[in-house]
Amino acid sequence: MNQPPSPDEGPGSDDAPLGGVHLKYLHHCPRQLWLYTHGYRPEQRSDLVAFGEVIDETTFTRRRDIDLGEAKIDWVTAGAVIHETKSSRAPAPAHAAQVRHYCLLLERRGVAVRGGVVHYPLIRRTVDVPWNDEARDQARQDEALARSVIAAPTTPPRLPRRECRGCSYLDYCWGD
Amino acid sequence: MPAVGRTYWLTEPCRIRREDDSLRIERPDNTPVRIPITDVRDLIAFDHVDINTSALSILSRNGVSLHVLDHYGNHAGHFAPTDAMSSGPVLRRQVELTADPDLRATIGRALILAAGENLRWSLDTDHLDPALATLRAKLPSCDERDAIMAQEGNYRRTGWAVLDTQLPPWLRLNGRTRRPPTNAGNAFISYLNTLVYARVLTAIRSTPLHPAIGFLHADTDRRRNTLALDLAEPFKPLFAERLLKRAASQKHLKPSDFETEVGRASLSKNGRKKVAVLMREELDTTVYHRTLKRKVSYEELIHLEALKIVRLCLEDKPYKPFRPWW
Repeated sequence: MNQPPSPDEGPGSDDAPLGGVHLKYLHHCPRQLWLYTHGYRPEQRSDLVAFGEVIDETTFTRRRDIDLGEAKIDWVTAGAVIHETKSSRAPAPAHAAQVRHYCLLLERRGVAVRGGVVHYPLIRRTVDVPWNDEARDQARQDEALARSVIAAPTTPPRLPRRECRGCSYLDYCWGD
Repeated sequence: MPAVGRTYWLTEPCRIRREDDSLRIERPDNTPVRIPITDVRDLIAFDHVDINTSALSILSRNGVSLHVLDHYGNHAGHFAPTDAMSSGPVLRRQVELTADPDLRATIGRALILAAGENLRWSLDTDHLDPALATLRAKLPSCDERDAIMAQEGNYRRTGWAVLDTQLPPWLRLNGRTRRPPTNAGNAFISYLNTLVYARVLTAIRSTPLHPAIGFLHADTDRRRNTLALDLAEPFKPLFAERLLKRAASQKHLKPSDFETEVGRASLSKNGRKKVAVLMREELDTTVYHRTLKRKVSYEELIHLEALKIVRLCLEDKPYKPFRPWW
């Protein structure tokens, strides 16, 4: 799991830093992103999140986290390749978006980024995330989109019920 | 909530120690129990507990709270981890909402009506219907907290009288008394109400809400957390009155489970243990939730209730208090 941004930055303010979690949530469910940034964070009570933390702690143990403040990159290898571990068994667009966001953050700090890799230790697969002009545009668009979702006055609608499986926000969104 | 962690009920005097990164509970009979800290959601101390700061810090680090009950089962206080869940936007909204007299009255009335209907449901009798009709008729004209509470008081008195008809003579309430409860039945109800309050408080603490900013009860009422008292209302009949009725009809309770003196009564040590077991089993009972599409325990119902208030704060979704649907 990545560090959440510090709590005193209010939601929606333009320079509030965006971390990897924000981008992942944006792609999974904008509503989740909105709730997360407005203060409802039930992740600590979720089995799946706890499982993901264990996967993160027990795989690639020789590598060290890179803490950027707003985001925490799992690790970076020479030539600036960004690595990210996921406990999921199925690659998802949200994972790649998270890595692209890290690339963007590093590039803004003056690092010549070459690309990214998402590791799925449970299925022993990796997915390459290329870093080029197209990806950069994509990352910038995602960032703008995330900011607009966060700044919206009302919550985005919830996803169809079946896509909420395993989400730690399910109790909140569906528990009428 | 929470598959993560369970509630541990410490019904005997014990010492809580830290052992490595986990907990060791030492009991008087020298059989220490080791509990993985990740398995603990919260601890409820029914009896004397020794604890030191290193144990407290590991509780805090893992978000575990410790509730302390006094001899009569009153909530004597709790140790809570630092506010990891707190959130400025939610809290500001909560303050705004609870400052609005109209909304406060609306929610107060809804809570009292739900508590009334739940009492009728848990006693499962027709004798309460007239009183419930009166409550329904009178509530809409009550705008003040005191007026609402007065209606609740009237209704509750009738409710307890009806409950008395379903109890053996020695367990009858003969009028509700508390601080201290005067007889066995009252001691039981007080004890269970305290437990419900502690459960609600734990549930609220797992959300970004502030437990002391509520709608119905006075802000300094009994120096408790107002929101927890509010949300406990609809759940009290589900646990307290229902369990008393059940324990009586199954002859589960004995006069020896209570320590009765003139004018006051409390549960004996054995009685406290029995009640803890009763309550724990009740909290683990599950029902099928229709929108979550899975079974939820009564414990989770309390958590879902707290989430309704979060929804009210974040999205202005109207709050509908809990009613049993099964």
